[in-house]
Amino acid sequence: MRYFVQKLGFYAVALWAALTLNFFIPRLMPGNPVDIMVSKLAAKGPVTEATRDAIAAMLGTDTEASLWQQYGDYVSAIVHGNLGTSVAYFPASVGQIIDQTLPWTVGLIGLSTVISFLIGVGLGTFAGWKRGSWVDNLIPFTTMLQSVPYFWLALLLLFCFGSIWQVFPLNGGYDVYTFPGVEASWGFTKSVLYHGALPALTIVISSIGGWMLGMRNMMVSTLSEDYILTAEAKGLRPARIRFAYAARNAVLPSISGFAISLGFVVAGSIVTEAVFSYPGIGSALLMAVNSNDYALMQGIFLVITLAVLGANLLVDLLYGFIDPRTRARS
Amino acid sequence: MLLSSRTGSSPGRRSLIVGAAGLAVSALLLTGCSSSSAETSTEGGSSAETLTIFNGSTGTITENFNPFSTTALQPTLGVLFESLYWYNLASEAEPTPLLAEGFEWNADGTALTIHTREGVKWSDGEAFSANDVAFTFNLVASTPALNTTGIAATAEATDDNTVVLTFTEPSFMQEPNVLGNRAIVPEHIWKDVADPVTEINSDPVGTGAFTVKSFSAQSYMLEANPSYWGGEPAVGDVRYIALDSADAASAALVAGDVDWMSAYLPGLDDIISGNPDLSYVNTPSMTTAIFTCANADAGCVGPQTDPAVRQAIYAALNRDQLNKLAGGGFAAAASPTILLPERDKKWIADDADLEVPSAPDTDAAGDLLDAAGWTLGSDGIRAKDGERLSMTIQTVTGWSDYISLNDAMTQQLAEVGIELKASQVSWNEWNDAEQSGKFQLSLDSIGLGASSNPYFTYDKWFNSANTAPVGENAIAGNTSRFSDAAVDAAIAVARSTDDEAVQAEQYALIEDVIVEQMPYIPIYLNSMLTEFNTSRVTGWPTGDDKYAIPASWKAWDNGIILKSIKPAN
Repeated sequence: MRYFVQKLGFYAVALWAALTLNFFIPRLMPGNPVDIMVSKLAAKGPVTEATRDAIAAMLGTDTEASLWQQYGDYVSAIVHGNLGTSVAYFPASVGQIIDQTLPWTVGLIGLSTVISFLIGVGLGTFAGWKRGSWVDNLIPFTTMLQSVPYFWLALLLLFCFGSIWQVFPLNGGYDVYTFPGVEASWGFTKSVLYHGALPALTIVISSIGGWMLGMRNMMVSTLSEDYILTAEAKGLRPARIRFAYAARNAVLPSISGFAISLGFVVAGSIVTEAVFSYPGIGSALLMAVNSNDYALMQGIFLVITLAVLGANLLVDLLYGFIDPRTRARS
Repeated sequence: MLLSSRTGSSPGRRSLIVGAAGLAVSALLLTGCSSSSAETSTEGGSSAETLTIFNGSTGTITENFNPFSTTALQPTLGVLFESLYWYNLASEAEPTPLLAEGFEWNADGTALTIHTREGVKWSDGEAFSANDVAFTFNLVASTPALNTTGIAATAEATDDNTVVLTFTEPSFMQEPNVLGNRAIVPEHIWKDVADPVTEINSDPVGTGAFTVKSFSAQSYMLEANPSYWGGEPAVGDVRYIALDSADAASAALVAGDVDWMSAYLPGLDDIISGNPDLSYVNTPSMTTAIFTCANADAGCVGPQTDPAVRQAIYAALNRDQLNKLAGGGFAAAASPTILLPERDKKWIADDADLEVPSAPDTDAAGDLLDAAGWTLGSDGIRAKDGERLSMTIQTVTGWSDYISLNDAMTQQLAEVGIELKASQVSWNEWNDAEQSGKFQLSLDSIGLGASSNPYFTYDKWFNSANTAPVGENAIAGNTSRFSDAAVDAAIAVARSTDDEAVQAEQYALIEDVIVEQMPYIPIYLNSMLTEFNTSRVTGWPTGDDKYAIPASWKAWDNGIILKSIKPAN
């Protein structure tokens, strides 16, 4: 029990530290949202001093509140679940934007991360078990794919399968030419899967190499452990040795890596979403940064923070079950 | 660890990556456009008469059809809601009457009488009247947060078709903002709106040629308004989509998924020649210029505060080469008066000031610098009293044409002994430096005014009232900190009259000063490229018939274009 309380306490402090950084970092950026909005308007049409006053009044940034007051307001608003109003998408609230974009990102990046992990670990187990097989020879190839810059790989695949052969669509989260909006129908689901297939494929093939290599090498060192020899000597079935003895121990480092990458699902989507014009949270973050939209940035960083901490907490707790040694020691 | 290759980089580097990615995909498109034919992708069976527009919106779209909002979706102005008049900034033309049929000023410019159009219906069937116009202007006047154009007018409808706007001071120059830049809203709906600032107006009732059909975060549809006063537009449905980059848009254009977009596409001629359905129009109308922090009295620091240096830069530029290297050959000649040579010919007093020279005159530049005391040093760079003739020019990371401009100008100016140090910063930092005056040179462009009257350009960029000392923000426009009593006086005279002959005299005075002082050193008129798919719709603006600014992101003009185009069959 003490183990879990300690963990939860640690995460509470980490959350507070993250929230505080989250408040101050956007404010260190040059420029302020009013000036940026005025400059963007100026490119479209005439602006005057009155424009600036109007926007300041509209955004409510004409108050002279001190930084500490703002910080206090920020913390109390977050406690109440109010993330504020977006500047870039005014008058939409930050919660609304996150609601609109997060499901797409979690769906695409989350699923492909899980798929990549499962396939990578599965193939790695096999490669470690049967060294020198064809799966083993796959590893240099997959690590090469991982070392190719991701955006380049994505663009290349998009060009080949989107433009030349037109197997997959070029952009978007679903077919906006057929469906006027999000709806719960089989046709729509098919369209979402079809549009998500190529982005997911690029993520999987660009990240699978790391899982495979890590799992294979852990398998190799685990297989030389004494308890494997004992298991073999006992005459257990090879499948049982492979999974219950070797793989279960070898997968532990990969699980913690998986937790970290799950946490970064939200943050790691910017390039994917830019290349495929995918309507996720990454493009909203990009927009927020470009418009000095503090509220939206804070909201998205908060989601990222929560995702990273949450995924780590979950794995920390799970670890206690998967690997009883961690519990025993504390 | 898994996604570390993508998560490790800072936002700055991400935009670099996206930028580089952009270049890459354009190159790919170029090489591949011959193999990928422009067949229309109808994976879900898109109907032939639906027009698809990419107006530059990226990522997720949030619903906002509030014509008072600065973040309203672009078709809100001009397509859904209309103004009283429409000002064509693409060519020299009288304003086109929309919801009004006539207007007149009183002699001292404090009262504007507007005659509204009869027989106009709101899209919910109610009749439009002068009361709606009066309501709109009074709502703006009484709500500071809505008043982005600074119109200080109270309005009164004297009968169903006449409304009188009363100003507190002579306001002839408010005319384009009042008539052409204010969407009229229905009183019967907006009088019940609790907060017009945060209203998103999800079911907009306007007088425009289109109404909203459906909305989602990825695209929205407009449909023709059958009761439109000018007759139902020939194009049925219009779809607006979001794409994350110009490269995604160019791929969609080639695939036939987008009918109308505006973006600079490298190798445009090759893309067009491989696809008979595609065409483009180039309407250069923004002057790309080197903005200088010109006024030492306001706190500007550096050699560029010497007018001779600015003149020398102006003379030493090889604009033909710049157009080839950075402008893709699409740029047009600018004017040293920073007006538009073609559209504003009648306002440019001295024919010698009509266009910038295209070839460099290094001798003249050298003479100017010699006369001002800048002597050539042993390192090939001039100096005066120990100060080297070296300046930093800033532009935005990822603005590839501006970066090419900086590179080429660095070489060109080195020939006359001027050292240019190019720096690339984020948009926010660039904008902040320009606003606060903490820069030496900055590449930027002179945008369009409220109407083609030069008042709007000169007041914004040269009036001392619109600047601020270095360290304070000059948001109203005059970022060069330029200040000249004669120019201020001439602007004040031009503002107080609607007599074009008087205005022309004043503008001639201003032109003489600014051609001499050159706080903004014009390079060229940057290209404004708009690409069309003509297989579904025809009647787009062309180089010969600029009936509106064709850019798909332009508010107001889009409404004119959408009701002028016709289905191809």
